[in-house]
Amino acid sequence: MLETLQAAVSYGEKLGADFVEARFDDLTLRTLRRINDTWKDIILKSRTGVGITCYYDATPGYSFTASEDKEDVNETVKRAYKMAKAASTAASLKLDFNERPAVKSQPSDTFNVKVHPRTKDLDFKMDLINRMVESAREAGKDIQNVTGRYGELFGQKIFTNSEGSDINWDFLVVDLPCRVTSKTSTGALVFGSERKAGTLGLEIYKQKGFTPEEIGKAAGEFAAEQITAKACPAGKFTALTDNDLTGVLAHESFGHLSEADFVVMGMSPLVDKIGTRLGTKHATIVDGGVPNITKNGGLWIPYDDQGTKANMTTILDKGILRHYLQNRGTAKNLNQEPTGNCRAVHFGFIPIPRMTNTYFMPGDLTKEEALEQLGTGIYAIQTSGGQVEGDGSFLFKADRGYWVEHGKIQHPIREVSLSGNILQLLTQVEGATRDLSLMGTYFGGCGKGGQHPLPCGLGGPKLLIKDVTFGGQA
Amino acid sequence: MKYDKIKDTLLSEVDSGLKFAQSLDNAAEFELFLYYRSNSNVEIRQGVVKATDGIVAGNAIRAAKDQRVSFSSSSGITPDRIKRSVREAIASLKATSEKDTRFQGFCEPKPPGKEGKFASKILELTTDDLVKFTLQIIGDMSTVNGRILAAADSNISWGGFAIGNTRGLQEVSCSVYNAGSAYAMAIDGEERRTAWEALVTREKPLDVTGLGEKAATKARSLLGAKKLNQTTVLPTLWVPEAAASYVLSSLQQSAKGNNVVEGLSPIAEKLGEKIAGSSFTLVDDGQNPLGIETEAIDAEGYPQKRTTIIKQGVLKQFLFDSYYGQIAEKPLTGNSSRAGGPFGSSLCYEYTPTIIGKNLEVSPGTKTEDELIASIDGQALLIVDVPIGIFHSDVATGEFSAVASSVFLIENGEKKMPLEPISVAGSFYKGLEQLQGIGNNAVMTSLLVKTPSLLIDGFSVTG
Repeated sequence: MLETLQAAVSYGEKLGADFVEARFDDLTLRTLRRINDTWKDIILKSRTGVGITCYYDATPGYSFTASEDKEDVNETVKRAYKMAKAASTAASLKLDFNERPAVKSQPSDTFNVKVHPRTKDLDFKMDLINRMVESAREAGKDIQNVTGRYGELFGQKIFTNSEGSDINWDFLVVDLPCRVTSKTSTGALVFGSERKAGTLGLEIYKQKGFTPEEIGKAAGEFAAEQITAKACPAGKFTALTDNDLTGVLAHESFGHLSEADFVVMGMSPLVDKIGTRLGTKHATIVDGGVPNITKNGGLWIPYDDQGTKANMTTILDKGILRHYLQNRGTAKNLNQEPTGNCRAVHFGFIPIPRMTNTYFMPGDLTKEEALEQLGTGIYAIQTSGGQVEGDGSFLFKADRGYWVEHGKIQHPIREVSLSGNILQLLTQVEGATRDLSLMGTYFGGCGKGGQHPLPCGLGGPKLLIKDVTFGGQA
Repeated sequence: MKYDKIKDTLLSEVDSGLKFAQSLDNAAEFELFLYYRSNSNVEIRQGVVKATDGIVAGNAIRAAKDQRVSFSSSSGITPDRIKRSVREAIASLKATSEKDTRFQGFCEPKPPGKEGKFASKILELTTDDLVKFTLQIIGDMSTVNGRILAAADSNISWGGFAIGNTRGLQEVSCSVYNAGSAYAMAIDGEERRTAWEALVTREKPLDVTGLGEKAATKARSLLGAKKLNQTTVLPTLWVPEAAASYVLSSLQQSAKGNNVVEGLSPIAEKLGEKIAGSSFTLVDDGQNPLGIETEAIDAEGYPQKRTTIIKQGVLKQFLFDSYYGQIAEKPLTGNSSRAGGPFGSSLCYEYTPTIIGKNLEVSPGTKTEDELIASIDGQALLIVDVPIGIFHSDVATGEFSAVASSVFLIENGEKKMPLEPISVAGSFYKGLEQLQGIGNNAVMTSLLVKTPSLLIDGFSVTG
């Protein structure tokens, strides 16, 4: 396939393109879903195609095809070139980029796992779900619904460009989530969930703490606990966010604002703030494609979709803004280095600045010390997502939480949502625990510019933040 | 492939694919879905241009035997890719003994409904036209005073899908539309306020006149926001775009037959009961000739229909596809979708059929928005855009907490100053019961829900 891509690059240059990038995805996706006793989804997807970016006068034009046929690929190059040429007439800000040496990948760039999902049959994976669902049923109370899912995405990504780069590596993410819905005595529905996901081999599901039985049990117990949970009070409280929720905070709020396309266009509140103190000394946020997966989890993304090798970028260093998340064009415009953050959901999309694994760095508190420092407030746990606006306003949903008084957990609460402005919030971070955990999921994923769902890793320690606005009962 | 060749080509490949599947296993039941769509888009953000043009093509097959059901999809609609999916689906069937005991078979053939209207002139639009539309939107924004950051895009989308199954169903539907949007960020010192406006049309090519100006003016009007400085319970007036997000997050979710059957809908047991104010009527019209989601058939080949979900506050009907309709023993409503709707996937063929509202419409009331505002005693909030996080609400609980970041204070019947972002929380369903008024200003929103403004009492607000 590399030869076809190289021929496409040459053809684009012959047409008149200043620079050409060609990439090929050959990915396999499997989704399994059991709802109560019913196997609702037994799904296998093959996602194969070619994406071509032609640059003309520093303006990109993009096209794609599901075909591997050389004629079809050449037709795709023509379309990309035509789009670039037409678009260049309208561009008043052009994102040219510097020449760089060709990048060559190595076999070791692919993350090796002991039990790759391609080596296990369907029944093995369905058994994971069955064990998880049965365990959830045993642990739960007044159950209305148990849904167990398994997802895997793996396969080859090939890239070349006008510089002669030759990149070939395999992506991998697996995910095993469980969700239990229970009914309260008043008929209201509440839920609990748990999962283990990331660039992992299936051996992870034999490891203590991550077996299907333990995941199911946790989901069942969390839902049961929510049956008697009180409504989250509305108002401002000190919060302790757990590792997953801290990750969403890093990703949704600060991560998106640090994506350099927003910065170049002046649309991020982080414009012209390099070197400025934005947060307390406890707030350090990084992004990188090659985290210590074995120790902390996350996703393995050694190259981005523009052929840049993964970096570990310190975006916010002890409260001071240091770097943005760049593609090659934005990096030159902002006089920084490319950071390996130019990504596309699949071959049907042009790569744009996106996150890889974004997380807060750990601090020095134990969980007990953090709760003691919290005093009275809310311990917010797990997340079903969040959203941020261009001005830094955000809302995050915690799946569950606890009301804490004098450093002691009092009772569970439900409908926990945190809101505010991220730039304000960073000045209120009062500490972080010393544990660090990351996750990257198959189900869900990041959305931007119509491109979703992109697998991203996120996480961090538990984070102590004062004066957080919680939505809830007035 | 040209637009006028899509139907014949897709139907021919469906027929061949099904024959191939049956040649491998004539005891199994099969359903084959083919998708082909051309998408061209030009986006300009503060002078940076991005242009894309490509064909999304893919196939998906479901195979069923002895109540075991499998699904396989692959990119492309060529015979070799279709055969690849067929082989994978059959292999999955053989690889498991797990059953879906509720599965009763694929969709029976029925006469199709009607496709939506479209203007053939849209098919004649070029990349240069898209550049022109987008530049016009940007230019309109620059006519508004103050510092405005501008982004816009415009696109053309045309294509179709075909479905066949071994029960004799073979249908196809095509559609065309032209869309544009404007995103404005008004800046004053450290304060930033945003607004978004969009147009989608199928009956004529885009006329973007005024779109950019509208977005920029709205963003600018939100500058100078003050703090509400209280935690209390207030009435909230949701303009159409915000009201559409309310309907999508609540009733569209809870009216889906899958959530009803699986015990995840808070209104599952309330058919025939009054669940909203008497003036509230909600229909899903999959046959509205101008609706963006209007097709002759749904994603399983069943004819799309018009379904009344709520009539004058009383819950009348849920939305079903063939799977859940058969389980619930209810009439099918033609609401099967493969990752369609406002949050759909570009590779929609990769998704199994699920249920979605096609073209949801809330019936208009009699009061203008100004009259609704004038009817309010004391304080209230005017929510003028989609609240942040509203789509993260959970269907099962019916409770929500979102942040209205584009919001004005209403005081004693008058619209006052803009407010800093405010957390709004409560129960969607209690809100519908406490509906205080419905505007006469129903419009098609960018969320593909046609709705007027809704005045709702009883939500907690903090800000």
